[in-house]
Amino acid sequence: MMAIPAFTQKASEYQVKAAFLFNFSKFLEWPPEAMGEPNEPFVVGVLGKDPFGSNLDEIIAGEKIMGHPMVVRRFNSTEEIDKCHILFIHVPGKTSEALNALKGKSILTVSDDEEFNAYGGIIKFYTENEMIRLEINIQAAKAANLTVSSKLLRIAKIYE
Amino acid sequence: MNRPYLTSIFLISLFIFFTYPASGQKGLSVAELKKLSVEELMNIRITLVSRTPQQIRDAASAIQVITGDEIKRSGALSISEALRLFSNIQVAQLNSSAWIIGTRGFNTIFANKLLVMIDGRTVYTPLFGGVIWDLQNVLIEDIDRIEVVSGPGGTLWGANAVNGVINIVTKKSSDTRGGYASASVGNFLRDNFEARYGGRINDKTHFRVYGMHFNRRPTTKPDGNKSTDEWRLSQAGFRMDIDASAKDGFTIQGDFYSGTRKTAPEHSPMNGQNILARWTHTYSPSSDITLQLYYDRYFREDIPGTGSDRMNTIDADFQHRLNFKKNHELLWGLGYRLVRDYANFRTQNVAILPPKKNLDLFNGFIQDEISISEKIKFTAGTKILHNVYTGIELQPSARAAFAFRKNHTLWSAVSRAVRTPSRFDRDYFLPAYSVPPPNPSVAGGPNFESENLTAFEIGYRIQPNSASAFSLSTFYNVYTDIYSVEALPGTLTYQIMNGSEGKGWGLEVTGTYQPARIWKIRAGYTYFDKDLHPKAGHTFNPDYLGNDSKHRAVLQSILNLPFNLQFDVVGRYNSKLKQTLATAEVPQFFTYDVRLAWVTKNIEISLVGQNLAKEEHTEFDVLKIPRSFYAKIAGRF
Repeated sequence: MMAIPAFTQKASEYQVKAAFLFNFSKFLEWPPEAMGEPNEPFVVGVLGKDPFGSNLDEIIAGEKIMGHPMVVRRFNSTEEIDKCHILFIHVPGKTSEALNALKGKSILTVSDDEEFNAYGGIIKFYTENEMIRLEINIQAAKAANLTVSSKLLRIAKIYE
Repeated sequence: MNRPYLTSIFLISLFIFFTYPASGQKGLSVAELKKLSVEELMNIRITLVSRTPQQIRDAASAIQVITGDEIKRSGALSISEALRLFSNIQVAQLNSSAWIIGTRGFNTIFANKLLVMIDGRTVYTPLFGGVIWDLQNVLIEDIDRIEVVSGPGGTLWGANAVNGVINIVTKKSSDTRGGYASASVGNFLRDNFEARYGGRINDKTHFRVYGMHFNRRPTTKPDGNKSTDEWRLSQAGFRMDIDASAKDGFTIQGDFYSGTRKTAPEHSPMNGQNILARWTHTYSPSSDITLQLYYDRYFREDIPGTGSDRMNTIDADFQHRLNFKKNHELLWGLGYRLVRDYANFRTQNVAILPPKKNLDLFNGFIQDEISISEKIKFTAGTKILHNVYTGIELQPSARAAFAFRKNHTLWSAVSRAVRTPSRFDRDYFLPAYSVPPPNPSVAGGPNFESENLTAFEIGYRIQPNSASAFSLSTFYNVYTDIYSVEALPGTLTYQIMNGSEGKGWGLEVTGTYQPARIWKIRAGYTYFDKDLHPKAGHTFNPDYLGNDSKHRAVLQSILNLPFNLQFDVVGRYNSKLKQTLATAEVPQFFTYDVRLAWVTKNIEISLVGQNLAKEEHTEFDVLKIPRSFYAKIAGRF
């Protein structure tokens, strides 16, 4: 087979990452106490300087997951985080501190930080040939009481 | 009708043919991204983060952006060659090292109505208000994008943005990791060597260092003999980006270069150094500041024994963005530029007097972008600057953008811009000593004031998806107090005055389209015309003010082929340039560049032909640019 490299589809980095964050809601399972009542929101949060602009809001707006309306929240520090299901962490240099502060909570932590999985973060974004790749720390997911679907595990690199 | 003209008509019709069906093409809006599966998401190539792409769609100005990849695929080896990809810029190669580059008219050797910036550093020279292109070099491999705004461009940009802004942006050092080295050899380009290494110091800090060296061969004189305009240049530089915290980012970068142009029979040296530091601080998602400081020095010898210019610049800029009341985005900034010029002319024939002069510039701006509704944005603001020649100048503008349908934007703008005097306008003497009035001389421009522009623009932009876009911009420019050189009544003592006025108008059409997953096309056409004349009581021949083509067209095709091959073509058409007092007529020309490359992850081998249509052709005045070829090998590790 000849592979002709395509320009295929181009999009901005954080548009694609926003779409990934949205998709993660379908491939993980949160414990019932984390989900709460059906009308309680499902929170996708950004900690630190927000790289998404309006992309994340545009993707999440109006969506529901198992009846829970999805909302975007932005946090300046971990103390502000009360309820959150997916959290994109963007605090260069302070990632490890942030993860420590969130220990024990059922939050899917996601980041671009190169050492993210080593610090105990769950999903790390990295790029390969200008395409987004995922690296998952299964132990960290277990510790947060989250179940990762096998489909997501198949397409991701497993952190060991 | 002769052939080049027909070819350009062909280019344009091809472009229209390709552009319109584009709306059906599958693309990647946020809404579309959302529907993709995770597997599909993993196959999307990402473009780098930048504020611009988001803004372009609703920017109320004629902005075009070309990516670093598109520049590489064109075979361009210099900024000037890369700028030929913009149909809204007129680019003419005068000789081996000199280029005449402008937009919306007034193209001359001393073209002076453009603001050009490289990574936030302003590079036009207050010596004559234009850019000395042979001093401006970057590693093509490291260019992230070039943005061009034709027209005054709004209040955000600094001084001299009269007819346009060119903004050259290099990649962040976190995006240039690893080693890169290349060697090219050819006939017109004699050789070009590039090397770069980038790395990570810790998870907050990345850096790169680079070096480049090239030799270019001479052009041909009208009599068929080689001209003596070879030039060569060596340059090295670095960049470091530090994401110190979630709220603070630092960039430090610098370049150092040295070269010579042959200016028969001797060589004229040129060299320069610059260093820049920038700090961005984010208070909250709705408020951030940028503080930038740079030092820039250049030295450039004219023909040895006649003169040289040495310019030292220290520039400090502050900018604050603030969102308030949900629908306002306020931007304001202040800048101070300390400029020390030493124009040392060592002949009595011509002089810039006094040789040493301080050209300090204070610059401030404020603008508010108000989202009146989801669909309507209104922007009003003004730039204020203070210069040593004319004091305070105000440059207000008002812009509106109406997104009346999804991905469709109609915009309009009215702006005032001024081109403040340069040393060539005020301090130019021919000869250097004073001459009695009955004998001819040019005695500076003691009364030369700023040239004024009032620009009216209307544009329309469609961006059905990320792969295709179409834009139409029209403009009507009213110029007053434009440059002239005239004898004082009853004498042969000439002075530089503001004795010309007139109008310029035109339209710019551009589009990009992806007919297939492996094929991308960019095309553009620009029409420009003007009517300049002496003001009442003045006599200066306005032809001298601009050597502008009426029609220009550019078509770039980027195609990926099997076996890791790439086949790329750029075609260009320029209609003729009229003869002026200073320059010969230049016939219309159509020419094209072709690049064939074999590219793997680590190795790239390419063959590039430039200006292939004819054995040689002229782009400005009389020197001939030859058909040329070069071969390049590049490695990445």
